[in-house]
Amino acid sequence: MREPEVTYKPESLTASRPLLWGAAVLSLIMMAPVAWLVGLSIKSNQDLMMGTDSVFRFPYTLVNYLNILHSSQVFGWLLNSVIVATGHTLGVLVLSSLAGYGFARLEFPFRRTVFVIVLFGLAVPEQAVIIARHQMFSWLNLHNTYLGLMLPGFSSAFGVFLMTQFFRAIPKDIDEAALLDNASQFRIFWKIMLPLTLPAQATLGIFTFLGAWNDYWWPLISATRKEMYTLTIGIASSQTNFAQSEGLGFLAAQAVFASLPAIIVYLIFQRHIVTAVSGGAVK
Amino acid sequence: MSASIELENVSKRYGALTVLDDISLSIAAGEFVVFLGPSGCGKSTLLRMIAGLEDVSSGTISVGGRRVDTLPPGKRGVAMVFQSYALYPHMTVRQNMAFGLENIGVPKDEIGRRVKAAAQTLEIDHLIDRKPQKLSGGQRQRVAIGRAIVKEPAAFLFDEPLSNLDAALRGRTRLELAQLHARLGSTMIFVTHDQVEAMTLADRIVIMNARRIEQIGTPMEIYQRPATRFVASFIGSPTMNFLPLTAIEKGQSGLALSVAGLGRVETSFPSQTKIDVEGASLGIRAEDLSISAEGETGIPLKAEIVERLGDRTLVYGVLGDGSKLTVEADGRAAVRAGEVLQVRLAPDTFHLFAADGRAVRGGQ
Repeated sequence: MREPEVTYKPESLTASRPLLWGAAVLSLIMMAPVAWLVGLSIKSNQDLMMGTDSVFRFPYTLVNYLNILHSSQVFGWLLNSVIVATGHTLGVLVLSSLAGYGFARLEFPFRRTVFVIVLFGLAVPEQAVIIARHQMFSWLNLHNTYLGLMLPGFSSAFGVFLMTQFFRAIPKDIDEAALLDNASQFRIFWKIMLPLTLPAQATLGIFTFLGAWNDYWWPLISATRKEMYTLTIGIASSQTNFAQSEGLGFLAAQAVFASLPAIIVYLIFQRHIVTAVSGGAVK
Repeated sequence: MSASIELENVSKRYGALTVLDDISLSIAAGEFVVFLGPSGCGKSTLLRMIAGLEDVSSGTISVGGRRVDTLPPGKRGVAMVFQSYALYPHMTVRQNMAFGLENIGVPKDEIGRRVKAAAQTLEIDHLIDRKPQKLSGGQRQRVAIGRAIVKEPAAFLFDEPLSNLDAALRGRTRLELAQLHARLGSTMIFVTHDQVEAMTLADRIVIMNARRIEQIGTPMEIYQRPATRFVASFIGSPTMNFLPLTAIEKGQSGLALSVAGLGRVETSFPSQTKIDVEGASLGIRAEDLSISAEGETGIPLKAEIVERLGDRTLVYGVLGDGSKLTVEADGRAAVRAGEVLQVRLAPDTFHLFAADGRAVRGGQ
């Protein structure tokens, strides 16, 4: 008897093995600088003066990390970064959620036009407006203030777009049921709609926080006093004179220390980040 | 609590497009009324206008004698069950049911009492702390009904609430809705395009088509005395047979009609019935036709398709002139496709329709 023809064969594991190897190699390439940085951070400056290949030899030490705890300005910069990145993130979440709800659900004149104007923000590079912004913040005496470091980030065109799309994806029946339940417009937003957008809030929050944490360009311009430096600026300023002062091992320890909060945020919200990157959050 | 609902000359327009045209309707307190019609006829829009989810372009809506079309949805005293159920996904069953009461400041212990009572009535008290995604379709539907019940509304509005359920559950829920109506005695408006739901649930059916009400009546009135050809074709399964008329004249005891495919047939329509033959048609329900016993004469019909439904057999056939005719026979009828049958007519059951689709009754 003739065997029935099989039209579908599931892909075997061996078929995806080259992909697996490829991913492993890419991961190693990505991880190498991080591993190198960690290696440098646990070597004494004296050893590193003899050559950075000493990373591969004993002895290792935590003295650079102890020096951070005793003498470095990193804690001040860390605090600045925490304040700025958290404030920036909260601002973006509040404004993007309100704007997104407005664009998705409320009727007002020129709604579409205003939305398109907001989206134009995605196409305008920060460099194009930096002089005007610097001038304006100068007039308003906002340079070297936390507010000055946070404010420009509040206008997140991407955030508004993301939240608008997410609110639009929520069935209108839900709002209508709440209307029939005698809920006010604000109560519908606060008690019904906002909790439903938590995945989008998490996605937006993580990306905004990481973006703000790693931001270099605006703090470099706005924070001119050393005590207002964020981590990125502080570490960069150390790098310019490491040979004369603290040394390479100490600098590497500072960099590792500086990246720890971002790594912790990543580990906590890893699931949401993967969802966000794969586009699943905006279903 | 139940209240009457009055619609007076209600219209709905979106720019130049008229969706509902001059609808007037009175619904008595405690009545179960079903809006029935094909997709796009405006029945859901009309329900949403009563709920306050759509503005009224002109006309007025009153609930319990109080004009409500100027009030927001939450102030109209009505509760609605959506086709999608529209439960709040992040809230438990208890929170879903309590939300509407919290918004109007009902005391907590009263909310608890009402939620518990509704949950017991609907047999969902064991699900009270679950979230909607942990519930089956039927359970979600009960929660949606429970959310409406706790508000003790003047009227319940149902927007195709059974259409997302499977056939077996739909039948059971239909029965439960009828029981719920009998127990609560509330005014209920139910939108559906399913004639079985309409026929089984309604005190009165409002048949809608193309922006207007075609007919209002009890299920049997609608079935037995359709006001228009549309109603006659929409109600009943299989669809009523329609055959064009070629001549109308006085017969022995009433009108004698020359009907395409049937020839000259004597009817019980009074001979003074006024109807223009141009565009007129004769309507015959399949169950009003029967297959003649062997040896008896009748109208010859060649069976093309035979559908056996167990309790009855549907024969889709062709008359001598090529006109189609459907006949309902007994479940055990020995009919085969290709066979020529003799069909017996029952003139007392005929329906006569003028060219404009209006049903013609005796003397009109």
